[in-house]
Amino acid sequence: MEESRVAPQGRAAPDLPGPFAVGTYARKLQGWMRERARVQLIGEVTGVGRSKVQAYFELRDGEGAIPCAIWLNDLEKAGLDGAGLRDGAEVVIAGGLDYYPGGGQASPNFCFRATHVRLAGEGDLIARLEALRKQMRADGLFELQKQLHRPVLPKAIGVVTAERGAARRDLVAALERRGWGGSVVWGFAPVQDRHAAPAIGMALQDLAARPEVEAIVVTRGGGSLADLWAFCDETLCRTVAMLRVPVISAVGHERDSTLIDDVAAVACSTPTHAAEAAVPLDCLAARESLERCVVALRRAGEGAIGTRSRHLGALARGPARALQRERSKLNQKIREIRAASERGLTARAASQRRIGTVVLERARRRAVGADMDRRRDALRQAAVALRAHEPERTLERGYALVEGEGGEPLTSAAEAGAAERISLRFSDGRVRARPERDGAA
Amino acid sequence: MDESERDPSATAQPDSYEAAVERLEEIIDRLDSGQAGLRETLDLCGEGKQLVTYCAAELDEVGAGLKELRLDDLAAKLDTASDVG
Repeated sequence: MEESRVAPQGRAAPDLPGPFAVGTYARKLQGWMRERARVQLIGEVTGVGRSKVQAYFELRDGEGAIPCAIWLNDLEKAGLDGAGLRDGAEVVIAGGLDYYPGGGQASPNFCFRATHVRLAGEGDLIARLEALRKQMRADGLFELQKQLHRPVLPKAIGVVTAERGAARRDLVAALERRGWGGSVVWGFAPVQDRHAAPAIGMALQDLAARPEVEAIVVTRGGGSLADLWAFCDETLCRTVAMLRVPVISAVGHERDSTLIDDVAAVACSTPTHAAEAAVPLDCLAARESLERCVVALRRAGEGAIGTRSRHLGALARGPARALQRERSKLNQKIREIRAASERGLTARAASQRRIGTVVLERARRRAVGADMDRRRDALRQAAVALRAHEPERTLERGYALVEGEGGEPLTSAAEAGAAERISLRFSDGRVRARPERDGAA
Repeated sequence: MDESERDPSATAQPDSYEAAVERLEEIIDRLDSGQAGLRETLDLCGEGKQLVTYCAAELDEVGAGLKELRLDDLAAKLDTASDVG
């Protein structure tokens, strides 16, 4: 770079080159910037203004902004002249860095010179949304709200929504249909522009700081993803994730999915569903259920006493019944015993008769046996006695028996003398003889 | 259930409506089972009535009609109160 034409009177920083003429430096800077790579940027349009030849605006997101400019003829080619380029629009621009060095009267100006511009499509936003979603999921922010306890019957809930939106009416109507008449603390906020996300975040924090608020609903009606983009704001969603009061989101319609749905405790498709999630208890149904509980308790209490009193009554009558029962049993036994006894006596009499006969027979036999023995002994003794008197015994002692011819004993000498023939009987035989008669005889 | 272990005073004030309803359902189930003795039945009925009273009071608190408040107004009141204080 050329040295300044003005002789220096001093050096501000003696170790650096220069000083250079600022205009020269500015032109060099312009050339350097224009040599930077051309890129595409995506963000929200804010602060749109127009001059005779160009439109200028800021392109920003939650983390920063860049001043941009586009020649009106380029804007016209993009079809975004007129109101096409408006505050809050989410756009994609293509171009590169530029620097206007200014002039004798004109101020210098740095900008991103856009040569092409288009409204951001669903694809662009979805890609950004997915990147944010991936990052926040990795940071564990999707689970924090879901771990919070949600009361079934809160006394007060907070609601963040647009003051004049249809979502507000739908929410109130749904709460009233459930018979819930608690307190609703409204935190009204814009729900669609670059101011929306910070305002919603602030309202959420203020509501969460109120001790009576037990749940918070964030809701708005449907729209394009660009319209709902405030609810994909990273700062807002990180705020929601860190709140210690459960947040119920109902942003857009069923098909819409914003980042706040991911971090919220519950994501609902409509304000009506959000009301049901904020007050899970249907108060009308709960009152009916409570009535049934009262009836059940009364029935149980009265039933327990009634049943037991009847039981006690039955027990009190029990002894008499038991006695009667036992008496009947006893009578039956007596009848059975009597019948059995009669049968037994007959049988026993027959049996005893049989036994008596047998016994008598045995006795008789025993008696007869003994008599026979005695008789036998007597006979034996008699026989012995008889034998002692038998003539043979006498004969054995040497005597002889005189018998007549007919075998008749001759017991006198006269008889023997008178017999023709006699027989002398000895123990070992007979001897026949003729008595000798003397003349004297 | 071991009746000797129950402490009626321990169930006097439930932590929340849902806790009260949960306990109430337990009580009804126990009574419906027919297995509770007389003493337990009477205790459970007493406890159940207390819970019903509690639940009814909770429902009454949100039964008077929707009250709508604005966060801005509440914040303004807080500011005023702090200024006065």
